Amino acid sequence: MRRLETRWGILMALPAILGFLIFTIGPMAASAFFSLTDWTIGASPSFVGLDNYTAMARDELFWKSLTTTTYYTLGSVPLVLIVSFAVAMLLNEKVRGLAIWRTIFYLPTLVPAIANVVLWIWIFNPDFGLLNSLLRQGGLPGSQWIYAESTAVPSLIIMSTWGFGNTMVIFLAGLQGVPRHLYEAVSIDGGGPWRRFWHVTLPMMTPTIFYNLVVGVVGTFQVFNQAYVMTEGGPNHATLFYVYYLFRKAFTESEMGYASALAWTLFMIIMVVTFLMFRNARRWVYYEMAGAR
Amino acid sequence: MKRRDLFKLGGLAALGTAAAACGGGAGSAGNTQLQFMFWGSTFEKAAVERMLKQYEQKNPGVAVKPLFTPDEYDVKLNTLVASNKLPDAGYVPMSMSFRLGEQGKLVNLFPYLQKYPQLAGYLPDAYLWTGQDNLHAIATANESMLLWFSKSAVAAAGVTPPAEAASAWTWDQLVENAYKLTLDQNGKRPDESGFDPKQIKQFGVSISFTYGAAWYGFLRSNGADFADETGKKCLLDTPEAIQVFQNLQDLVYKHRVAPGPGQLAATGDEVPGTNILLKTKRVAMVVDGHWSLLDMNESKVDFGMGVLPKYTEPFTASQVAGASAVFAGSKHEQEAVELLAFHNDPANVDLFAKGLWMPQEKKYYEDQAAIDSWTKNAQHPPEFRTAVVDYARDHGIPDLRNRVKNMSAISSDVLTPALQELETGKRPAAEIMKATAPKITSMLQGWHHRQDL
Repeated sequence: MRRLETRWGILMALPAILGFLIFTIGPMAASAFFSLTDWTIGASPSFVGLDNYTAMARDELFWKSLTTTTYYTLGSVPLVLIVSFAVAMLLNEKVRGLAIWRTIFYLPTLVPAIANVVLWIWIFNPDFGLLNSLLRQGGLPGSQWIYAESTAVPSLIIMSTWGFGNTMVIFLAGLQGVPRHLYEAVSIDGGGPWRRFWHVTLPMMTPTIFYNLVVGVVGTFQVFNQAYVMTEGGPNHATLFYVYYLFRKAFTESEMGYASALAWTLFMIIMVVTFLMFRNARRWVYYEMAGAR
Repeated sequence: MKRRDLFKLGGLAALGTAAAACGGGAGSAGNTQLQFMFWGSTFEKAAVERMLKQYEQKNPGVAVKPLFTPDEYDVKLNTLVASNKLPDAGYVPMSMSFRLGEQGKLVNLFPYLQKYPQLAGYLPDAYLWTGQDNLHAIATANESMLLWFSKSAVAAAGVTPPAEAASAWTWDQLVENAYKLTLDQNGKRPDESGFDPKQIKQFGVSISFTYGAAWYGFLRSNGADFADETGKKCLLDTPEAIQVFQNLQDLVYKHRVAPGPGQLAATGDEVPGTNILLKTKRVAMVVDGHWSLLDMNESKVDFGMGVLPKYTEPFTASQVAGASAVFAGSKHEQEAVELLAFHNDPANVDLFAKGLWMPQEKKYYEDQAAIDSWTKNAQHPPEFRTAVVDYARDHGIPDLRNRVKNMSAISSDVLTPALQELETGKRPAAEIMKATAPKITSMLQGWHHRQDL
């Protein structure tokens, strides 16, 4: 009977296992191999060892794309964390129409990525866009937003806060798990809202903050849509994000070997950054059950 | 798996194919299946599908499956190349065609030229060569750049853009007239006191900085070129080239008669179509390709056509469209070549009469009856003959993309970013081009092969 169950179990899990092997592990292994070759689509790959990786060190655009992506990550992740945490705190209070507010704040997350990007192109339009119209009405000078080198990445960072809904929902779930008796204890000791936040909410929320931080960093390192649809990496490479550069190498210039090496380099960068974040987390992430870390 | 097992598998597959053939499947004799891959607007899709139906009617026993691929064409074609599942014939992005030609993925059309005289009668620049006697593709249709204008806007300013090469404006005349056509919200012109450059209602002229075909004619007209005769030294830092780019920048920042980056933007780098710009009178004159004619007519714009301004001898970039080719490995190569010859013939496709395409056969530029066959209709205005047909024939120079090797990488990695910087107006053209030209030189691999028939 148990053997039968085991067989059925394996059979049921097989589609997922096969899917993982065929569509994830297989392509990863293939790209690892191709990253060691000089392969232009249409020609045969020739083994070049680590040449693609060493070529990156001399590739001006590789460094440009890496610094641009890092700049975006450093700007976007903290901003999204702060905004979504603040909104989650507000939505955790007992206010009228709470469900409606929660829906409104989550709604932008449901807008398809490309529609979202097209919407923001209009918002950023220097001539008749929403942002410049608001600034003009306030008597302030407008900006060129995504059309000037200096403001392109900051504009996209501002835009990234628009989709904070998912992060907010996770914060909200975390906030609701904070034990009420801890707040009561602070109140009994005479602590106000600030102390309740500083001594209870924040420490109890550190595992959630940490989770959102890791997911945010991994996600922003792979930013692509904005460069692809809005800016095409411009102006003057100002928004040449790493994955967009990788895509261009792979599909516009057909240099699959080099593009595979770029992909594996990004994988390693994200792995190292994630590892460092996990190591550093021991210092500031608090788990109520010590064994949970 | 042992080698013997592989042979066994191969044998089984062969048996399977034979069985399918016996069963009278799609691959049976007398029923030739071709695939034709193409991109384009919904108008182009409909026209190409009509052409394919017509081809089927004229060639009983041949069925053509249209593979309409409006987006990500290069990505999808690259994927088909990598998986060895290419269609029989179709469009190929221009710069990609040279790579595929070199890799032997496209059928050499040269041996077919004798058999199909129609293919041999094209404009010389329509042929795309990978090497001596290796004709890997033909440009799908001819296209050339010209000066579009809003009839009512120029009439209101008392300006008349010329439609003949002999009377083409000089650059200074273009600027002078652009001043007359630029108006702020209060109706003031850039040379009048109180003009507000931040509230421009109608720009005098619009010319793309980043689209090479838009300025390549000016470059050549000023005695400059993209590269020297070896094709290995970039000449964009010569005084003549710098003058052209500085003049472009001055239109925006010195004369304030042309829009700067983002001022007309709707989506990314794309501005609203020329038809919209002219219809709304956001711009009075636009340098754009002749293919806009289809959209102009569809959206009922009151437009006029003029020739591009000149420096010395007038020039216009032509052969701006993509390539068409037969893919190697087609089981029906000859039929695919016949389809290729059929697909850009004005007798079979109404996109010529509707204004999207210009023919490739020489006779359509030289023989009066042939010229009339695609231009004498309600879609083509009277000045089309001199402003486009004659101008393209006598002053056309092929677009950079079908002449310079490695152009795709040069464009995306170096040239376009430099032109975007020029467009932002932060640094003068001389500084930008002097820094850019050596970078381009390091990427140049020469001109593509050309030969006369």
